[in-house]
Amino acid sequence: MLKNSLPGVVRIDDKGKSMNRAICLAFLFVTSVLLSACGIRSDMQDQPRYKAYKKSDFFSDGRSSRDFVAGTVPRGQLKENKAFYTGKIDNPDVNAQPVTTTDASGNTLVTSFPNAIDEFPVPVTKELIDRGQDRYNIYCIVCHGPVGNGDGMIVRRGFSKPPTYHDERLRNAPVGHFFDVISNGWGKMNSYAYVVQPADRWAIVAYIRALQVSQNPDEVLKANSKAEPGSVPPKSGETTHGGKP
Amino acid sequence: MAQFFNKSANNIARISILAGVVLVATAGFSFTQLARSSYLTGRYMEKQQPVQFSHKHHVGDDGIDCRYCHSTVETTASAGMPPTQTCMNCHSQIWADSPYLEPVKASFRENKPILWERVHDLPEYTYFNHSIHVAKGVGCSTCHGQIDDMPAVYQENTLQMEWCLACHRAPEEFIRPKSEIYNMKWKNSDLDSKERLELKASLKIRSKEMMTSCSTCHR
Ligand code: HEC
Ligand code: HEC
Ligand code: HEC
Ligand code: HEC
Ligand code: HEC
Ligand code: HEC
Repeated sequence: MLKNSLPGVVRIDDKGKSMNRAICLAFLFVTSVLLSACGIRSDMQDQPRYKAYKKSDFFSDGRSSRDFVAGTVPRGQLKENKAFYTGKIDNPDVNAQPVTTTDASGNTLVTSFPNAIDEFPVPVTKELIDRGQDRYNIYCIVCHGPVGNGDGMIVRRGFSKPPTYHDERLRNAPVGHFFDVISNGWGKMNSYAYVVQPADRWAIVAYIRALQVSQNPDEVLKANSKAEPGSVPPKSGETTHGGKP
Repeated sequence: MAQFFNKSANNIARISILAGVVLVATAGFSFTQLARSSYLTGRYMEKQQPVQFSHKHHVGDDGIDCRYCHSTVETTASAGMPPTQTCMNCHSQIWADSPYLEPVKASFRENKPILWERVHDLPEYTYFNHSIHVAKGVGCSTCHGQIDDMPAVYQENTLQMEWCLACHRAPEEFIRPKSEIYNMKWKNSDLDSKERLELKASLKIRSKEMMTSCSTCHR
């Protein structure tokens, strides 16, 4: 064993082979040293592309998600259906301003609703009201409370108390007014248009109507002679088109 | 020629072989433990945020729904982070003068985003999507833990591949009814195994083969 590997015993014609092997080994060794010298790279972990909310070094405000260029209309968002996207009638009278008063707690009360539509621009179904309930419980319940009395958790923590949905004034307010409040905000309440899409806004309005019925079934029935006792509130599968439920 | 090795060398050789095996095994074991340690996965580590926002206050005490702030969790891959306006919906009035809220108000005034530190960060060679998990009965607390009890968010799980796969192999052990997704109090024991299998069928969760195929998460 020992004898065979003594230098003198190695045969000439083997020399080339072992040289090759040595070069191979040296090559492998050098590449592995070079590779590890590169350190642990994380190009795959952090790729040069924008994931949602990733910081951008290119734009001065650091946001990688950009707003639409002013004056452009994304495909499918022309919003031709006025009633559906604004809750207003087709040719609104620009001079007609709503009549408002400010009550003792500083809330802005409105008593006339020029231009607001009074009919839902979408079919009012059980699914719509369920969706509305779901959305109301996310975005509105914190202030307006579970049934809309204006006693939500945030109000108890010190936010101004919103008016109840169950007084004469808001029971008779047209649906377009509620849509307008969600879309553009109202007094001390901010707009929710940035998180609640138009279809969901109508769902919330439908649910508010259902809440109004559930809190004062008699008053609503009196005010709305068209509705029959059996149809309030709408049951599963039933479809009421437009109008006050 | 005299004997080169003493007879006791046999034992030394045996012991060193054994020691070698033990050493390699220990090194291997420590490596797997180190790879799963919070030092390398970021598990349980809190980050210093520009605003001391507390989920314990906002979710636990005030009962705000996750979607009020993380509003795209049902529709997109990202759960969505609240724009400064969301904070101002309430903080235009509540604690409006608090020094803790100064960065929020500055951001609102100057129209500059608040730079939140990422807590959860998957490597970008993996594809993850919130909306499918929320739609197929995986609740927030299953992956994120008791967020409603965290003054500062930390990562509850390792987010390693083995963690994803543990669920993708047997989703029925982790799912819940869709009405309970945002319920932080939900416990896995609220359903028995028969109900789980029925739920899995009604949610039409795909086969184990598809859910563990590499191209589901590496695409
Ligand atoms: C942060 C608390 C808060 C949230 C959340 C909130 N509101 Fe309000 N809302 C108010 C306050 C305060 C007022 C009274 C504003 C005023 O008159 O200055 C108000 C008023 C209203 C009014 C009455 C307008 C009138 O004619 O008097 C409606 C309708 C309304 N909100 C609907 C909603 C809906 C729908 C949502 C959910 C998308 C919602 N609000 C979410 C605080 C809130
Ligand atoms: C009032 C708004 C608000 C609500 C409600 C809210 N969050 Fe958050 N959430 C934030 C903000 C702001 C951050 C970033 C600051 C931080 O990481 O603490 C955040 C961060 C997180 C993160 C860590 C994100 C990361 O960087 O990896 C998770 C996970 C999370 N929220 C889950 C939830 C869950 C689950 C709920 C519902 C139980 C919830 N949040 C409710 C505002 C909110
Ligand atoms: C729906 C209302 C609401 C929203 C939206 C909201 N907060 Fe708050 N926030 C509160 C309330 C209520 C408190 C008081 C906490 C308590 O005592 O329960 C509070 C307290 C705080 C405090 C502690 C203030 C202090 O001086 O102790 C900070 C900081 C804060 N919020 C940051 C934020 C940030 C950042 C956002 C936006 C991601 C946000 N909040 C969104 C209602 C809200
Ligand atoms: C299947 C596990 C899982 C579930 C269920 C889950 N998350 Fe996540 N969440 C993650 C992972 C993984 C990340 C990191 C994503 C990344 O780095 O790209 C994350 C990141 C986040 C973030 C940071 C922003 C982002 O999207 O990267 C927020 C906020 C968040 N989750 C909120 C929620 C909320 C709210 C829910 C409940 C509706 C929820 N998550 C349910 C696994 C989950
Ligand atoms: C607690 C259970 C659970 C955990 C943890 C989990 N998943 Fe899932 N995942 C599911 C379920 C359930 C589905 C729905 C499968 C279906 O579509 O039927 C799913 C679907 C997916 C899909 C969608 C497949 C497609 O084709 O759209 C991706 C991608 C995915 N998961 C990635 C991940 C990654 C990455 C992780 C780890 C960070 C992870 N998941 C952790 C339960 C889980
Ligand atoms: C359920 C989702 C999912 C599936 C399916 C999946 N992976 Fe992964 N994989 C991940 C996640 C998440 C990571 C990131 C782990 C981490 O950050 O440590 C990862 C990381 C890896 C890595 C890098 C590991 C490292 O430590 O750097 C490799 C390689 C990999 N996966 C290969 C595969 C192969 C091969 C398959 C198919 C047999 C597969 N993955 C299937 C989610 C998945």
